[in-house]
Amino acid sequence: MTPSLVREDCRRIIDGRSDALSALRGETVLIIGGTGFAGTWLAETLACLNDDFGFGCKIVLSARGTERFASVRPHLASRRDVRLIRADVRHLSELPRETNWLVHAAATPDNRFHASSPVETMSTIVEGTANILRALDPLSDFRRMLYLSSGYVYGSQPWNLAAVPETFAGAPELGSPAAAYSEAKRCAETLCAAARSEKRAPITVARPFAFIGPYQPLDTPWAANNFLLDALSGRSIRIQGDGETVRSYMYGGDLAYWLLRLLTTEEPGRAWNVGSPHPVTLRAFAELVAGHVNPVPEIRLHAAAHGNAPRTRFVPDASSAQQKLGLDLRVPLPEAVERTLRWNRTETPVSGAPR
Amino acid sequence: MLESSERSPSIDGGPTKTVLISDPSLRDGNHAVKHSLTAEQIAEYCRASDAAGVPIIEVGHGNGIGASSLQLGLSACPDEVALRVARENLKRSRLGIHIIPGFATIERDLSRAIDLGVDVVRVASHCTEADLTERHIGYARQKGRSVFGVLMMSHMASVEVLVEEARKMESYGAEGFVFMDSSGHYLPGDVARRVTALRAGLSIPVGFHAHNNLGMAIANSIAAADAGATMLDGTVRGFGAGAGNAQLEVLVAVLHRLGYATGIDLYKLLDAADMAEKKIIEAVPTISSVSIVSGLSGVFSGFLKPVMRVAAEYRVDPRDVFFELGRRKVVAGQEDLIIEVASELAKTRSAA
Amino acid sequence: MGQLKVAVIGSGNIGTDLLIKVLRSPYLKCGAFIGRNLSSPGMSKAVKLGVLVSDESIGFIEKNPDCCDLVFDATSALDHRRHAPILDQLGKIVIDLTPAQVGVMCSPAVNIDEALKSRNINMITCGGQASIPLAYALSLSHKEIDYIEVVSSIASRSAGPATRRNLDEYIHTTQDALKHFSGAGSTKAILNLNPAQPCVNMQTTLLAQVSNPDMEAYRLHLSAVVKNVRRYVPGYEVIVGPTVENGRVVVMVRVRGLGDYLPAYAGNLDIINCAAVAVAEAHARKLGAVPVH
Repeated sequence: MTPSLVREDCRRIIDGRSDALSALRGETVLIIGGTGFAGTWLAETLACLNDDFGFGCKIVLSARGTERFASVRPHLASRRDVRLIRADVRHLSELPRETNWLVHAAATPDNRFHASSPVETMSTIVEGTANILRALDPLSDFRRMLYLSSGYVYGSQPWNLAAVPETFAGAPELGSPAAAYSEAKRCAETLCAAARSEKRAPITVARPFAFIGPYQPLDTPWAANNFLLDALSGRSIRIQGDGETVRSYMYGGDLAYWLLRLLTTEEPGRAWNVGSPHPVTLRAFAELVAGHVNPVPEIRLHAAAHGNAPRTRFVPDASSAQQKLGLDLRVPLPEAVERTLRWNRTETPVSGAPR
Repeated sequence: MLESSERSPSIDGGPTKTVLISDPSLRDGNHAVKHSLTAEQIAEYCRASDAAGVPIIEVGHGNGIGASSLQLGLSACPDEVALRVARENLKRSRLGIHIIPGFATIERDLSRAIDLGVDVVRVASHCTEADLTERHIGYARQKGRSVFGVLMMSHMASVEVLVEEARKMESYGAEGFVFMDSSGHYLPGDVARRVTALRAGLSIPVGFHAHNNLGMAIANSIAAADAGATMLDGTVRGFGAGAGNAQLEVLVAVLHRLGYATGIDLYKLLDAADMAEKKIIEAVPTISSVSIVSGLSGVFSGFLKPVMRVAAEYRVDPRDVFFELGRRKVVAGQEDLIIEVASELAKTRSAA
Repeated sequence: MGQLKVAVIGSGNIGTDLLIKVLRSPYLKCGAFIGRNLSSPGMSKAVKLGVLVSDESIGFIEKNPDCCDLVFDATSALDHRRHAPILDQLGKIVIDLTPAQVGVMCSPAVNIDEALKSRNINMITCGGQASIPLAYALSLSHKEIDYIEVVSSIASRSAGPATRRNLDEYIHTTQDALKHFSGAGSTKAILNLNPAQPCVNMQTTLLAQVSNPDMEAYRLHLSAVVKNVRRYVPGYEVIVGPTVENGRVVVMVRVRGLGDYLPAYAGNLDIINCAAVAVAEAHARKLGAVPVH
């Protein structure tokens, strides 16, 4: 049976680097929020480690929407080494006793939800994290937890700062509901540090930036998603500003590998930026996307009806992870784009889209 | 790096840098003689070091007051006698003690020491357990003594954690903070990095206590001072646990040459050291093969004598014992584990 | 009579671990799991296990005295001093897991009979529970013990803020208990916290100075006492000695916990809970409780 696109990616990304993850062999890995983008890629990577590298991990995915996951991702849900637990972090009080490793990836990164339901956004993140930290107490063989924070904890990245390092002292706007998600993530990070300090709980923090790839739902109104949707629908690619806004995108497979390395590393480091350090303007990204569609669509700048969309930058300085852990990106951006488009075409064909 | 002409204040024109010296010869040195220092030796050294103007003289069992025990070694001279004798013989110098919660208590040990006239209280814990010191620091503060927080075996924590733990001690009211290289594991860069981070994270002065297992005690101490540490520990002839500490006379000489002021009369200090060598120090510390191994493996220097003894008893290589203790990340105070490790090594050897 | 009805006050990790042990015991039945906060993880666990819960603290027992005949108090020394007279008034047998030291000290393998005569029994300290059997066995084999010292090492993660703040009390209580149970001239207790990961199990070493140490006699008494301890703490094991090293009697035990609700490496916390349940079961048997398997 030909391996899936995602399985091919995982193999390529792990190849020659599986030893670095050997602490996971035979262990139980719990992913809270296991059905989201990061969670699914983690599950895929662990499944690949099991199938192709003999790791023998037990994969536990905990989330609210486990039934839907079982129906859309049967290839994962039906695996013998995968167990689904339906749970809401806000009401969580217990974790499986055999949990050795935990990735806390539970949060909605959907900014529409943050805008409409800032209270629920914050309580899920803060109370959910507090519950998880308390639930670590009774575990006998617990090794480490990786908390997925966010690159948004830094607040707005100054235009003249090429890449944000972990030591950057900026912050979101104080007291603003628009900062609900970022502030909640900052609070959760501090809760993790407090648990480390008071209870000696072994916790590492990752600050993920921006990602593309299979399993990323394209309906969240981010620039990258918009371009991909436009391309898949055979429309011209619309950029709202002058295209000079700067972003960077890491592929889901690289994200998962980085996260597992951060989870298992002995190297002390409170928080690690996770994302591509290679900046790209939206215009260049749009051109990249366009280049993978036939016929090549038009790219329209200033597509917003009026107003001046300001230029912004959101690029991590990932040199800590790169230098201290020797991490790099195995899927360069052009390939990431190509594979994302290919997966979306075969997974959920958009009617009328050119192939 | 150590060009004296760059440092001389008369050339710089800048204010003289001061380093506060604390001398634990009569405390760390006790490790080297299995805690057998006598009241007489204490008295004589106090007189000599007081005359030399050493600011703080630290007295007591190697693991601090209240630590005399079968586990850590029984003191020949009870705390009460040692402190009384020291107090009588220190006129200008301040009398200091080292105290580890878990070994010593406020009621039984600290309160009595303070009643006997101790001026400086250094409350110590393992580098990740600062919250054990809250009550003891609070008590000494309440009694109006100078209180310092101390973290031992500091190489066993990351720089970030070390700063976090030090900040706890500051919040409890410590007026200064000292980190120890209890196993003599550091190199100068390690020390400089830590001092820099600690100074950035604390509002109180930072100090350093060196051990010489890798021959780096002086260099490490100077690196600390250059990075902004304003308190340093040194012992005469390096008289201390394992391979000994930063040799005080050498340290003071080098500090003076670099333009740091210590308030110490070097000649009188040299006299004190000569006297100590004759009358107090059984053997001037050297860096033995086993000390090198213990330094590399990051095991507490105070384990040297018990490891040598137990290894001989069980007929195993003391170096193997040190490596295994290092692997298990054993902390100061866990001397009982030496017996367990040695007996397991002996079993493995006989099974082989 | 059926099983003895008990209540647990204190819904933290220790109280919750105690609850699980109570539910497993053939002699005990949990009439109420009581705390101050219904949304704590312990409370959720109790509800899941079908146990009656209350956030009214001791008020619940005052209002519903029939809910229990014996109470485990796993709150704090301060709170227990408040609870003790109230529970005494209500005629309840109390097993105190706090450092309050109101009633009789009990190490079940040593003085269970004495404990059964009292209505307030305290479980001393973790180091005490681990070392008193060793000290007691030493006193059975040696008439004169000059000095006993006990050193316990526990995982840093098993020592919460309360343990850390009350280190001095732990030391003094353990020392007093050692003296009481062994008749030694003087005693000392030391506690080491070790932050190594993976977490270390609790390990306790007894060191003693006796004239004419007789290891054969000690070994004999020790193995009998240890056998007794293992009936309620299966993870209690002698790992070194008894032997004489450097003029001191040395014996080391390791305590691995059951992992009911506390991590298995926290043998220090588990041994107190196991001992507490052992005392409760002894009371139950004395009162004629019928075990339900």
